[in-house]
Amino acid sequence: MSEAILTISPVENEIKTRTAVNGHDPSMLISMRDIWKTYQMGTESVHALHGVSFDIPRGEYIAIIGPSGSGKSTLMNLIGCLDTPTQGQYWLNGKNVSEMDDDELARIRNQEVGFVFQTFNLLARATALHNVELPLIYGGISSAQRHEMAKQALKAVDLADRVTHKPNELSGGQRQRVAIARALVNHPSILLADEPTGALDSHTSMEIMDLFERLHSEGNTIIVVTHEHDIAARAHRVVSIRDGLIEKDERIR
Amino acid sequence: MIRLAAIWEAFRVATASLRANKLRTALTLMGIIVGVSAVIAVVTIIDGLDQTVAQTFSSQGSTVFTISKNPQIIKSREEFVKFNRRKDVTHEDAEAITRLCTACWRVGIAANAIETVKYANQKAENVRIRGIDPLTMFEIDGRSVDVGRIWTESEGASGREICVIGPDMLKNLFSDAPPDKAVGQEIRIDGRPYLVLGVLEPLGSILGFSRDNVVYIPYSTYQKAYGGRRSLVVFIQVPAPERLEAAEDQVRTIMGNRRHTTGDAEDPGFALETQDVFLNLYGSATSNIYIVTVLVSGVSLFVGAIVVMNIMLVSVTERTKEIGIRKAVGARRKDILTQFLIEAVTVTALGGVIGVGTGFGLAYVISALIGFPLLISVFSAALGVGISSLAGILSGMWPAWRAARLDPIEALRAE
Repeated sequence: MSEAILTISPVENEIKTRTAVNGHDPSMLISMRDIWKTYQMGTESVHALHGVSFDIPRGEYIAIIGPSGSGKSTLMNLIGCLDTPTQGQYWLNGKNVSEMDDDELARIRNQEVGFVFQTFNLLARATALHNVELPLIYGGISSAQRHEMAKQALKAVDLADRVTHKPNELSGGQRQRVAIARALVNHPSILLADEPTGALDSHTSMEIMDLFERLHSEGNTIIVVTHEHDIAARAHRVVSIRDGLIEKDERIR
Repeated sequence: MIRLAAIWEAFRVATASLRANKLRTALTLMGIIVGVSAVIAVVTIIDGLDQTVAQTFSSQGSTVFTISKNPQIIKSREEFVKFNRRKDVTHEDAEAITRLCTACWRVGIAANAIETVKYANQKAENVRIRGIDPLTMFEIDGRSVDVGRIWTESEGASGREICVIGPDMLKNLFSDAPPDKAVGQEIRIDGRPYLVLGVLEPLGSILGFSRDNVVYIPYSTYQKAYGGRRSLVVFIQVPAPERLEAAEDQVRTIMGNRRHTTGDAEDPGFALETQDVFLNLYGSATSNIYIVTVLVSGVSLFVGAIVVMNIMLVSVTERTKEIGIRKAVGARRKDILTQFLIEAVTVTALGGVIGVGTGFGLAYVISALIGFPLLISVFSAALGVGISSLAGILSGMWPAWRAARLDPIEALRAE
């Protein structure tokens, strides 16, 4: 897979010859190679990521940590297939997603990624069950099967008795657990959590982190993006981002 | 392929958001409702009128045509002046037609006057007094006697004050008495006493105009009362519609010969008319109503569609976050596009259904007031809902497309 790629960098406006950092490792769930993300701010180009490369094996519990403006949100959007890199290669579960179009990315998000957001992002008018069913609807799962799977997922996060509740009838911790059930319902390759405890009190935060730990022990691959060190400390591996580059990548347990 | 589950989801979301914003939904629907109900009401009313008119004219039959000095419809002052220079149509003309027209079956003459009719202290105004000759004019007019009798030929020629009254006279002069109570009584027309010989069978009314508000008198009597210097109308009946043309040709020749002295070569000097004149007039009147209605409802549908587009744009903006969530969990562009299109179509189709209902309701009220049958057409109902749904697709297209191409990251950031 190693090859020379001739590219024109829009920033320096000069011709660079860069050797692609070897190909992807098929044994890895996530394999990122020399990922660049550049935003155009008026006439200026801003590099959010400058050539990030790393691998995540199946079943890992990893935290991505960094201050705001470090590029960690950009990295999370790329990992979650909400966006594509300006340059570089990204393989997710054996598929090269770096050159996919919008609808292909939507399909990958549906099948491979389960999102957990800081502000839960549940549909306000829908019941817990319907919220959890949402990915299955876009996945084309039959209604009976959808119901069954969504109920199972809610049971897995201890919300079997809150199936018909709407988000405003649930506590913050319960809402986040509905969101986690939604993220897991389609059995995705990765569970991608963006500041999952950012809107919760410390006690509820611990409950959610305990839930992540349990889900990890059940075999799920979990990626938590955060700026809080004690949240990151619950993971088994911590990747620190600063100024669009990986500053540190350490295994902590 | 758009998955059925996604369509059902879109429909659920659409109805839920419509329920959540009831007032907005109602206002959005208004334009569509007005447009659709206008079309439905007018189409239904005109269908009803068409049937009434068709029945009326076929009951009298398309076997009758008339010769008169002036046509029924005078289009301009110039025409009026021209027609007034024509010679009157007289009894002699009618006799010539009777004698010479071999294709004609019945020939009669009639003249009308509008008078006030009195009986005891009762009074009926604007009654049509119809002087006729001979007795077959009753048949040409399609009238028959209910109670009593018509006059005999010798009575008809005598100039005596005798009459046969239309059933409306019973109501207006005899306090709704049974017909036999009126027979033998004396009524006064323009102050002159007339003996009632019989009462006619009712013919009902056309478009609110009663055909039973009439008194038939012999033409000789009419001449005595109103003078013989008025122009007549000659009625000619043929035994079957296919004989009409031959009879018309013969009568045209006969009358042409009798009018050969007119100075104007262009003007035949008389008017030959069939009921087509009325049907044509009616047809052009209703087609004008159709055109106006289509324009009015087109405008209100257009305005309605713009309102729907506006509301859909607002809805997309309000629900940017929701779109972001849906995209994050795997909704593709066409899923979002479908969702908002279905929402737009749901609104407008609902408007269409309400519009169809309102239109039929309106038509029902009007038909009950004027008195013609209400014909509910499944086709026009389907058309109303179909057109409003189409308006929904057209007006929903742009907002839905905007929603579909939202960037999921941007959309998730929205509040």
